Amino acid sequence: MILLLLLIITGYLINLVLPWWGIAITGLVLGFQMKPKSGKAFGIGFLALFLLWGGQALYTHLVNDGILSTRIAEMLGVGSPLLVVLITGVLGGLISGLAVLSGSLLTNKDK
Amino acid sequence: MFTSNRFLTFVRNDKFIYGWMKVFKSVLTLFLLIALIFAFNTQFGSVPPLGKFFDPQAGFWANAETSVPESEELELEGFDGNASVYFDDRRVPHIFADNEYDLYYAQGYVVARDRLFQLELQTLDAAGRLAEKIGDRALERDRTTRRRGMPYGAEKALEMMKADPKTWEIVNAYADGVNTYISSLDSEDLPLEYKILDFEPEEWTPIKTAHLLKNMTRTLAGGNSDDATSNTIAYFGEEFIEKFFETKPALNDPIIPPSREWDFDAMPVQAPDTLYKPASAVELGEYERPEGIGSNNWAVSGSKTKSGYPILANDPHLTLTLPSIWYEVQLHAPGINSYGVSLQGTPGIVIGFNENVAWGVTNVGSDVMDWYEIKFKDDSQNEYWHDGEWKPTTMRVEEIKVKGEETVLDTVIYTHHGPVTKAESKLDEEREPAYHALRWIAHEASNDIRTFYGLNRAGNYDDYVEALSYYVAPAQNFVFASNEGDIALWVNGKLPNKWKHQGRTVSDGTDPLYDWQGWIPFEHNPHVKNPEREFVSSANQESAAPDYPYYLDDDFAPFERGRRINERLAEMNDITAKDMQELQMDDFSHYAKTLLPSLLEWVTTDSLVENGDEILELMKDWNYYMEAEEIAPSFFRHWSGNFYRAVLYDEFGTTDVSLRLPSRDRFVEIVKSEPNFEFIDNVETEETETRAQIATASFNETVTELTNYLGEFGDDWKWGYFIENDVDHLASIPGLGRQNLFSSGSGEAVNATRGQHGPSWRMVVEVGPEVKGYGVYPGGASGNPGSPNYDSMIEPWRTGNLFELKFMKEEPSEYLYKLEFR
Repeated sequence: MILLLLLIITGYLINLVLPWWGIAITGLVLGFQMKPKSGKAFGIGFLALFLLWGGQALYTHLVNDGILSTRIAEMLGVGSPLLVVLITGVLGGLISGLAVLSGSLLTNKDK
Repeated sequence: MFTSNRFLTFVRNDKFIYGWMKVFKSVLTLFLLIALIFAFNTQFGSVPPLGKFFDPQAGFWANAETSVPESEELELEGFDGNASVYFDDRRVPHIFADNEYDLYYAQGYVVARDRLFQLELQTLDAAGRLAEKIGDRALERDRTTRRRGMPYGAEKALEMMKADPKTWEIVNAYADGVNTYISSLDSEDLPLEYKILDFEPEEWTPIKTAHLLKNMTRTLAGGNSDDATSNTIAYFGEEFIEKFFETKPALNDPIIPPSREWDFDAMPVQAPDTLYKPASAVELGEYERPEGIGSNNWAVSGSKTKSGYPILANDPHLTLTLPSIWYEVQLHAPGINSYGVSLQGTPGIVIGFNENVAWGVTNVGSDVMDWYEIKFKDDSQNEYWHDGEWKPTTMRVEEIKVKGEETVLDTVIYTHHGPVTKAESKLDEEREPAYHALRWIAHEASNDIRTFYGLNRAGNYDDYVEALSYYVAPAQNFVFASNEGDIALWVNGKLPNKWKHQGRTVSDGTDPLYDWQGWIPFEHNPHVKNPEREFVSSANQESAAPDYPYYLDDDFAPFERGRRINERLAEMNDITAKDMQELQMDDFSHYAKTLLPSLLEWVTTDSLVENGDEILELMKDWNYYMEAEEIAPSFFRHWSGNFYRAVLYDEFGTTDVSLRLPSRDRFVEIVKSEPNFEFIDNVETEETETRAQIATASFNETVTELTNYLGEFGDDWKWGYFIENDVDHLASIPGLGRQNLFSSGSGEAVNATRGQHGPSWRMVVEVGPEVKGYGVYPGGASGNPGSPNYDSMIEPWRTGNLFELKFMKEEPSEYLYKLEFR
């Protein structure tokens, strides 16, 4: 749970100063430090950024009345603007999940 | 994640292998992570870099507008002036500045702020540099742009702009403003399209202004049918040409009223004894004139208006895009207070008004683009034959950069006529390729900005004429009205002085008689001031009656729009601005009025397909208005097209060379007056067809085709659907345009709305002690697809609701937001 919260907070902060792949750095570092089990590592990493990116996207989508997300949905041919929100969450989740897993594997002791 | 439990159980037995596997596993996931980051940061084909693109902080989400922009005070380095920009409720900027530099600096800045991608894309396209940014899919377009001499012409224009201190000052002020905005951008601030296409804006330089202006010449005066006319003469003979292209329909009503007398002698021009016959069947197709880009403008004098002051109207018809080609702006500084629309990339206002005068433009269809067949001495192409001697060519190496690939070098040979293109024969592979040089008005040095600079500040008729004298291309019908009560129209531009029919066919590049021997003096350009009929108008039709002593072209727009406007203006009195807005939305079709009664007379009623009788009744009851809610316009449009094709295409299809098709107005006249016109017969059948047979067969064909295309006869056939009016994105990015706008109008109606083309700006201005302007364009001030302001005017535009324009005399106290430059 702490890892999840830390991932969300640091992921948000690093994205203010670094390009989008900054979330891989925080994922790697936190994975290395917090040493989650490898099965959990990916799941927590994924969930954190899925919530962060998906949440940010959902907020923007709602405040913008879906003007842009509807256009992007049509551009990508995905049908619904909510799918665009979902894709945003999944993309962030994938990177973060892999990063936390990689970080954790660098330290994982034998069990 | 990657290894099954059984595999794990196996390796756990061996510590060494397990340790090694663990390293392998972490290296593998790390590798996968890096690969994924790399992949998500790279563009594949037209798929934007996914991670970069979806990043909610700096990706496309950052372009979603979540609130009205806030007012800002900008302390700008290097800017020591003073300017305030107030945005009104439609977010139109009203710029108030202390001097001209600050004024155009601020204009450059706000245009970049609202329309950066458009600003850059249009000029990259005009410079033949698209491939540099978006890759090899644009390479052929760039090559064509270069080969027709677009950058060459822009370079010449730049020299002339440099030579005029006033132009040079404002072009540089504008550039400084654009660059200040660009350098303030972080990656997240980039307009959406840069993120989709994955490139970044570059520095703005004055030559880009020249590119933009040459691009307008390409759009409006960048086509000809020289080869098709040559082929048509060779194939169908002089008589056909005389009948269809030299004889104008009886209903033709030229722009300058025929009552106008010409009190000058034309400058002499020497014609050859016989017309040159070029090698036939060449392929110059890509330069053919795009059909049907036209416009309307008119002005009525105070004696016909309710207010007693002139009213002016203008609606230029162009390809409709989002963002719109136009951007509304008010420019206020000492010596200028002007409101209107600008083209992105040029300082000043192109169509608009000020406290004293209003002006507008439509295109002149004069022939300012000619092909010359060139005779080279040998394959080196170092010399060409002209005026009895071998003359040296010059070479221009076009360096076309291509994103992600090697730079392409393209050598273009230039003669004194212009750049040379190689044309292979379509029909005869054995034939030696022909070489054609292009003589084109866009290759002339020009300083057209000076015209708009003058018009923006004009106080009366004389100022307007002075401003027009600077203008080169694309030639425009400049309509004018002033609060002194004057109305006027000048057919204006730098027009070559040609012998009759010079350049409508492919010219002899060796004979100096085919060169452009000189220019029509500016004061000889067709014009009229305060004519007796008390209005002036233009709708791209013939510039002047046959007694005008110069040859301009044999190919102008059909009479329909121009005639309708003139008929309506002649019968109207007590005119208000509202009346003029309604005339802009007039959907009456002279084409239907002249053709449909005859078609209905010819059609044989006993051999119609299902629904035929009902449709026939519908057509008989129709009033010739191309209205969205009606079915008849759809049927007429398709039936008349099928009829036209049935009459002409069999003969035209007997050869593969490109031929020139008759304009529809003259076609209607001939087919009505000549029952035995030989083209009516279908050459592919034994029997000799009559008009009745062709009309009936094309009627039935139309019913079948519309049923296949639109479904069963009924509401789905309404014109509003069939017109297929789309406003696509400027770079054709899916999702960023607006499709299938249920619209009235037609190419031959005053409201010339039709699929993807139409009135790109509707403006009505009532001059007088208090000038009042009205306007709308299909788009919005913002170029950001994530803003509600991107397309907010599409609906009012579709229904013909013009906004009252907020022409401010002093800085306003109420506004949506403002920018202050200090």
